[in-house]
Amino acid sequence: MHTYDLNSPDEPVLLATGLSKQFAGRRVVDDVGLRCQAGQVVGLLGANGAGKTTTLRMCYGFLQPDAGTIRVAGIDRRVDPEAAARRVGVCTQDDTFDTDFTVRGNLEQMSRYFRPRPSGVKARVTALLERFGLHRYANAKPDSLSGGYRRRLMIARALIHAPQLLFLDEPTTGLDPQARLEVWELVDTLRREGLGIVLTTHYMDEAERLSDELLVLREGRVVATGQSQAVLGDLVGEHMLVLDAHDSAAATVCAWARQVGLPEPTRVLSTLHLALDGPGLARFSARFGDLRFEVRPPTLDDLFLKLAEKP
Amino acid sequence: MTLHYRAALQWQSRAVLGRHLSVYRRNWHTAALPPLLEPIILLLAFGVGLGGFIPEFAWRGQPVSYLAYLAPGMLAYTAFMTAFFQALFAAYIRMHYQKTWEGQLITQVRLEHVVWGEVLWAATLGTIYALIVTLVLVGFSLTGWLHLYWVNAFLALPLLFLAALAFATLGLLFTAIVPSIDHMNIPFFLVIMPLGFASSTYFPMEGDALWVQAWLFLNPLHHLAEGIRLLLLVGEVNHHLAAACGLFLLMILILVPVDERLLRRRVLGEG
Repeated sequence: MHTYDLNSPDEPVLLATGLSKQFAGRRVVDDVGLRCQAGQVVGLLGANGAGKTTTLRMCYGFLQPDAGTIRVAGIDRRVDPEAAARRVGVCTQDDTFDTDFTVRGNLEQMSRYFRPRPSGVKARVTALLERFGLHRYANAKPDSLSGGYRRRLMIARALIHAPQLLFLDEPTTGLDPQARLEVWELVDTLRREGLGIVLTTHYMDEAERLSDELLVLREGRVVATGQSQAVLGDLVGEHMLVLDAHDSAAATVCAWARQVGLPEPTRVLSTLHLALDGPGLARFSARFGDLRFEVRPPTLDDLFLKLAEKP
Repeated sequence: MTLHYRAALQWQSRAVLGRHLSVYRRNWHTAALPPLLEPIILLLAFGVGLGGFIPEFAWRGQPVSYLAYLAPGMLAYTAFMTAFFQALFAAYIRMHYQKTWEGQLITQVRLEHVVWGEVLWAATLGTIYALIVTLVLVGFSLTGWLHLYWVNAFLALPLLFLAALAFATLGLLFTAIVPSIDHMNIPFFLVIMPLGFASSTYFPMEGDALWVQAWLFLNPLHHLAEGIRLLLLVGEVNHHLAAACGLFLLMILILVPVDERLLRRRVLGEG
């Protein structure tokens, strides 16, 4: 069970413990814990259906957990959901801005869904439009914006009430590389300003680049937490060995892996990937020294491929 | 249980209602055209035109012009249809296509507030349209085409608001259960259109058969149409108004929690 000390004097902006959720009798999140400090980015990783979005939705109050506790800036969501929601900003996976309003109107309208009302709304709207480069489109309808600017609007909208904690659900999905980079820079800046950020992503480079800490989910359960290198070491291994899948010795390598109790090598296009620790690599070299292969450090892509495998 | 109804008075429901009003205010000049022109066209086409071919029309055993019979029925029908239509089609589009609800639910607004915001808005719009019809009826009265206790039409507006509120809860029920927008024709043509017409709105519903009596006794739209008709044509406060009021309150009491439960399942996947 992933539990955290609820009585710690160093109260994080988000502290979730023992979260579980079932849909139609199927448990999609099972005993998940999550902690995010001010000025920290926590990345939720996992294949499709791993429970990332459901976990996020419970944390920001869209869904009620079946079990578990969520505290936002020290406020228990079950005790005072309204106060907790006031401290949270959310950028959903799909665009959920209001298409009946302009870009400026969206920011103004969003501010009306919070009490106490954000102070100096007009000035704050103008400042957010400037900051997110949206001032040129202030009077345009959001559906006329490019993908990158839509995302900027979604994030700006999530910040209208000056929250302490920001949830970003796959913030760069569908964006071109330039727009992705811009969103990354925005996230970086917000982190430096002291905002706690929890994000989900499919992009491994994004997770590695942005996250101070990773939380890896598989079939609704946490399988690893920590910094990316530690997570990789725990879940993938120290070294990633890559060899040609068409090599005549490939079948022998697979048989050897089975024999020594290693997981089956993963086939990626025309290559075979085999995760090994130090002694394992030494044994492999001794057995297949005449084979052409490459050894590299594992990446989050390797982790993702591993997570996508059937357990 | 009271939580379902308390949400109607909370600021979040007003914020959702305010959002809809704000959108309407920007488009009022085009949005107000149909409720203004529709009663004029219907009163001229059916009341004056068709009514000219019905010289001996009787209501409650008394001779009355078809135009005079039609006018109060139209008032009831407007509140009913506007609220229902708004809570069905417009709410469905906001929920499913525009994702407006999801955008609201990531704030301090909860599902019960979204439900009440939609219901209150549909009722407000139904009352605004009924007011426009009332003004058209006043115009017809002042020009001598109609003989109505037209001041009473303004007194009926609170009841029309309550009626619209109740019919909006019925509209949201279908919003919660129809699989797609294409399926909305089913409740519309099998429930709403028959209810709209078989309720003493455009023609008298009479008969001694038990099923007719039961239908009229339990039908809130019939009581609303007949109650307003007595109020406008005879100037009489009558039992139909009380019956309509009771049935509308009952509808709201029953349907609000049901809507909320079904929409919770549909929107959040819970329940």
